[in-house]
Amino acid sequence: MSLLELNKVKKSYQQGKIEIPALRGIDLMVEPGEFTTIFGPSGSGKTTLLNMIGCLDTPTEGEIKLDGDRVSDLSRTKLAMVRRYNIGFIFQAYNLIPVLTAYENVEFAIRLIHHLKEEEMKEKVLNILESVGLKGLETRRPNELSGGEKQRVAVARALVKEPKIVLADEPTANLDSKTGADVIKIMVKMNQKLGTTFIFSTHDPQIMKYANRLINLKDGMISGEERR
Amino acid sequence: MFSIKLGLRNLTRQKRRNLITALIIAFAFFAYLFMDSLMEGMEEMSFKNIINFDTGHIQIANPDYWEEREELSLNNLLYLSPEVQKSLQDIEEISGVSPELKFTATLNNGIDEMPVIGLGIDPEKYKNVFITQDYLVSGTMISLESHQAIMGASLARLMDLKINDHITLLVRTKEETFNAIDVEVVGLFRTPNPMIDGSTVFLPLDIVQQSLNVDEQISLISIRINQEKEKNAVVENLNRLFQEENLKLEAYTWEESAETVIALSVAKKGGASVILAVVLLIGIVGIINNIILSALERTEEIGMMKALGMKETEIVLAFMVEAVGIGMLGGILGCLLGVLGVGWMSKYGFNLGYLGGDMSTYGIPILDKIYGVWNFPAFVFLLFLGIVVALFSSIAPAWWAARKDPVKAIYHR
Repeated sequence: MSLLELNKVKKSYQQGKIEIPALRGIDLMVEPGEFTTIFGPSGSGKTTLLNMIGCLDTPTEGEIKLDGDRVSDLSRTKLAMVRRYNIGFIFQAYNLIPVLTAYENVEFAIRLIHHLKEEEMKEKVLNILESVGLKGLETRRPNELSGGEKQRVAVARALVKEPKIVLADEPTANLDSKTGADVIKIMVKMNQKLGTTFIFSTHDPQIMKYANRLINLKDGMISGEERR
Repeated sequence: MFSIKLGLRNLTRQKRRNLITALIIAFAFFAYLFMDSLMEGMEEMSFKNIINFDTGHIQIANPDYWEEREELSLNNLLYLSPEVQKSLQDIEEISGVSPELKFTATLNNGIDEMPVIGLGIDPEKYKNVFITQDYLVSGTMISLESHQAIMGASLARLMDLKINDHITLLVRTKEETFNAIDVEVVGLFRTPNPMIDGSTVFLPLDIVQQSLNVDEQISLISIRINQEKEKNAVVENLNRLFQEENLKLEAYTWEESAETVIALSVAKKGGASVILAVVLLIGIVGIINNIILSALERTEEIGMMKALGMKETEIVLAFMVEAVGIGMLGGILGCLLGVLGVGWMSKYGFNLGYLGGDMSTYGIPILDKIYGVWNFPAFVFLLFLGIVVALFSSIAPAWWAARKDPVKAIYHR
């Protein structure tokens, strides 16, 4: 059984009287542990597709299954629960909470799902921060971190709850190429170490080379696929 | 709970805006506490002035006289028999009994005249109930069997009178015939009760009884008791006694004598409710404005929290904690300002000169200064109210923020 299954997924937006199609029928299966890149030009539907997979939005037509469970027509509350327990997000703009330290930003995600003892939780958060190369920076607030460090906190936040899938929407777009590559290397490392499934969108060819599966999206449809 | 931690941390964001909102709430609370203290002080002083200079704690009168007491009629007067007097003296709680004869008169100084209230008293008994004699600013107290009068210094000034001047009080006797009482002004007083100072002339009771041709009758008896809180029990006791003795007399508490001032006090409480409503409105608007602005600024953050699976109720809770924090800060600052303001008011008082004179114009028997009083329950109530108002006024905007579509929030669409 695939971890993720999309069957004829369509999404269109209403703009006044005009209906704008964003996804025109996507069929996709993702296996556990894959490191998948969705690429394509701006407006091709990458973000919309990630939103559908991430249960942030529901399709107009079609079906999405996560770990065999149909999630495409769940209520808002149930979708929130699916996201809470199964999906980690990494955003282009990091979206860290500025009043919390790096440690607390990561702790926030794990407190939502685990009722661990304080010591266990602390150990888990410190371990993941060390894994992404942020040892010693735990007490810094986002405004005291560089762009690359912020994105590493976001990676740690996405991974700490051990989700089934981590979705990253253009995670390197706000970083210089070297820092971007470093962040992607960390994601690859975590993918190999933890076996977490990664799906990220980008149009940066330098980043794509790290993926073991490439999906080309054009005009809301998958126009090509390559496995490595 | 993480929402609470986040809410508390968020208090440190937009420090200036949060502080301004808290200060607005604090100022509104301070204004309420200050006004409440002033009005409570005004009430307390008015009541004291009524008891100490006008009515005593209890008054006894013929019920028919009481009905029309404002007219100061010479009908339905009462006779204070030795038996009644002894019965009153036997009541342990009573510390003073003062017979009084009230009448209307026209005060004539030889040039001008003006209507006044005449009050016949027995000075020895009067001082056991009232404290007017302690406020003599010149001269002495009147004595029985002598043609003497005392009056307020303000009335004397108005009529261009001084000590040892002679005045004539034009009166109507019980039979409605005209009479004149010639007396010498032997004393001037200045009490905190402008209603007594500006319109009452005190004369010896026997002289007044003789001039009004009422034998030994009086209008009413004023009584002072040891403990004010006992007044209702004493009134009940007295009324039972009068019934047993088959006397057409009734005892009334000072509150029944001072219905106008009590009515003003009730109206004052209505005014306080209006102030409280305005204070609450300020708090509500401040909190709602703050939460909406915060939610707009943190749209992407809300989107992220929803993406991570935070429930809407958890997001609402974080905003509510933040709002309660602002409400509490405003409440504490307001109460601290209130302590300073009320402390100043109770120590130095508020000079009525700033309002253009005494409060008798408004029917309140206070002259010169009003002192604030400490109303600690108001502080506790307001602090509690600040939290409750912050909590409830934050629910709607917090809910509005938490209901945002996560995709639109994350991408700021």
